[in-house]
Amino acid sequence: MTTSLIVLVAGAVLILNGRAVGVLIAYVVLALTVAVLGAGAALASPATFALFAVATLLKVVLAPLAIGLFVRVNPAAEDLRPSVPVPVRLLLVIAFALAAELASGMAALASMPMLNLVAFIVLCGVGMLIVHRNLLAHMIGLLVLGIGIGFAGSMLAPGLPEPIELGTAFDALIATFIGLALVRAIIVHDPLLDVESLRRLRG
Amino acid sequence: MIAWVVAAPLLAAIVTTAFPDLRTRRLVRIFLAAVAAVLSLSVAGSIGWLSLTFTVIVSVLSFLATVFSTGTFSPEWGGSETIWSRKSVYFVLLGAFWSAMLLVVLAQNFAALWLGISATTLATAFLVGFSGEAAALEAAWKYLVLCSVGIGFALLGIVVLAHVTIAGGMDSRLALSWTAIVGHGFGAPPPAARLATVLMLIGFATKAGLVPMHAWLPDAHSKAPAPISALLSGVLVSCALYAIVRTLEVGSALGASWLLHEILVWLGVASTIVAGALMLAQRDLKRMLAYSTVEHAGIVALALGFGGSLGFLAALLHIIGHAFAKSAAFFAAGMLQNDFGTTTLAKLRGLWKRGGSGRLLLAALIALAGMPPFGLFVSELLLVFAGVAAHQWVPLGLGLIGIVLGFAAISRNAIEIESGTSAVPRIAGRLPTVARGTIAVALTGALIVAVVPWTALGASLQGIAVAMDAAP
Repeated sequence: MTTSLIVLVAGAVLILNGRAVGVLIAYVVLALTVAVLGAGAALASPATFALFAVATLLKVVLAPLAIGLFVRVNPAAEDLRPSVPVPVRLLLVIAFALAAELASGMAALASMPMLNLVAFIVLCGVGMLIVHRNLLAHMIGLLVLGIGIGFAGSMLAPGLPEPIELGTAFDALIATFIGLALVRAIIVHDPLLDVESLRRLRG
Repeated sequence: MIAWVVAAPLLAAIVTTAFPDLRTRRLVRIFLAAVAAVLSLSVAGSIGWLSLTFTVIVSVLSFLATVFSTGTFSPEWGGSETIWSRKSVYFVLLGAFWSAMLLVVLAQNFAALWLGISATTLATAFLVGFSGEAAALEAAWKYLVLCSVGIGFALLGIVVLAHVTIAGGMDSRLALSWTAIVGHGFGAPPPAARLATVLMLIGFATKAGLVPMHAWLPDAHSKAPAPISALLSGVLVSCALYAIVRTLEVGSALGASWLLHEILVWLGVASTIVAGALMLAQRDLKRMLAYSTVEHAGIVALALGFGGSLGFLAALLHIIGHAFAKSAAFFAAGMLQNDFGTTTLAKLRGLWKRGGSGRLLLAALIALAGMPPFGLFVSELLLVFAGVAAHQWVPLGLGLIGIVLGFAAISRNAIEIESGTSAVPRIAGRLPTVARGTIAVALTGALIVAVVPWTALGASLQGIAVAMDAAP
């Protein structure tokens, strides 16, 4: 119950908050919670644990730290520029929570543990890509998506955490470090990092 | 051994950077790339025909792209301030891209295949944005975000697949191996199998650029340097389609076959029609070629969706033929860019009279339009037979409308740019013969595909098609 509440609040902050720092804190709380829940599956072997430790360090510490430092150097990018007003975003959070509960209640998916939390986190990751116009928010959205998939791995397939850890660590690597390198180049053209500025190529 | 084969292109690219002399470095680069390509064939005995066929496509075309890049690398490709816009970085990323694609086609399970697909994003995001121009950065960003979301869903599908197969009594070490899953013999279809395979299909379809997940492809494929566009369109899309073929194989074993075939048919119809229509509206050659990739991916999806041994054979032949034809077209577009400084269709006129790149481009466009004697004519003919055999009249009719639209776009533009009198002066000397040679080799590949059905390779492909059709 407590875990579900933490995930729900962190997910809501990701969608509702319009500032990078607030969203980063919510992301770290979410990533940490998921890491604690998945730690049991990582104790299968030393190699699995080592991979889990590296992936967790990358997702919980390095990725948010890198984004946080970037925001500090480029304060104009702090505003995540939500594209819809708060009430609509709140409705979206409620819809995500309901959809996640509905999915976990389906007979075909009944054998999957904690499916409601997995589905909610994945939906929040996708939601961040939709409701925020700032490219940093999109990077955090990809990280949240990766967290949700990693969580799914440790809950649904505890027998093979190595490929899953490797996969989600790869996701975090791509989302954060390649994303930041591209954002560093894009910010020269648009200091606000607004996705609306990426509309030269159309048709 | 497979690990060495996969690592070889990347290692070769890294080793090459140690040579300070430009001429020596070029020769070493081509020699080591050739070694890496030949080395990849050494695993022939330990992998199946399907993997081997795709390994040959990856290695031959990646080698050609390396040779073409070595002969044509232009300072304009990386003239910006971005940290990755350097020649040495370009070739290392090209090597990494090649290695990642080999990992995809040599993988024996979905975890390794997914890592390969994911690694291609890692390597190519910077190659797409290599020029550092605002438009190239935009393309790279869209590519990164949309493909990451797509392959994220594929990974989620793979996780659910593992859950399904382990719950079905499979050993966790083999839970993601397609050979093991097909051989396991599941009784009743597992409840979550559909969810798993549909997520995987949607994820890999995003990487293949099928409509409606295609938004990143025209931007990324048109803004990358020409040899990278050739690999993205010709080979990476083939790798994504290979992943779809493997998903279909597993989906059939898990009782999700009908649903996957239906989804593929309609993704194919949407892709051929939307891309065919948008090809007519394009004003840039590379962008038109990029939309043509969406159209051809749609044709393959349609053939896979029709199923049956004819459908699978059409899909496999089309993937091979398209890989060679599209690579040739992008190489030729790169030569035009070098010769005239533009790929804007309205500015390109009278190319036939000016010889060289224009004539090679015409041959590549004829191949892409699906005209004889090139291989895509045979595969499109087989597609029609497969649609008729499957009694899928409506999707076949709609798919053919899309193919006709694409044909019209290519024909109109080919006639316009090859005829008339050019107003654009040549800005550079002729490219080295070796660069033109790469286009000729790629076109030969596209031509040979036409006779493949009557060769030993054709018999093997038919064997694969029959085996896939017979899967439970």
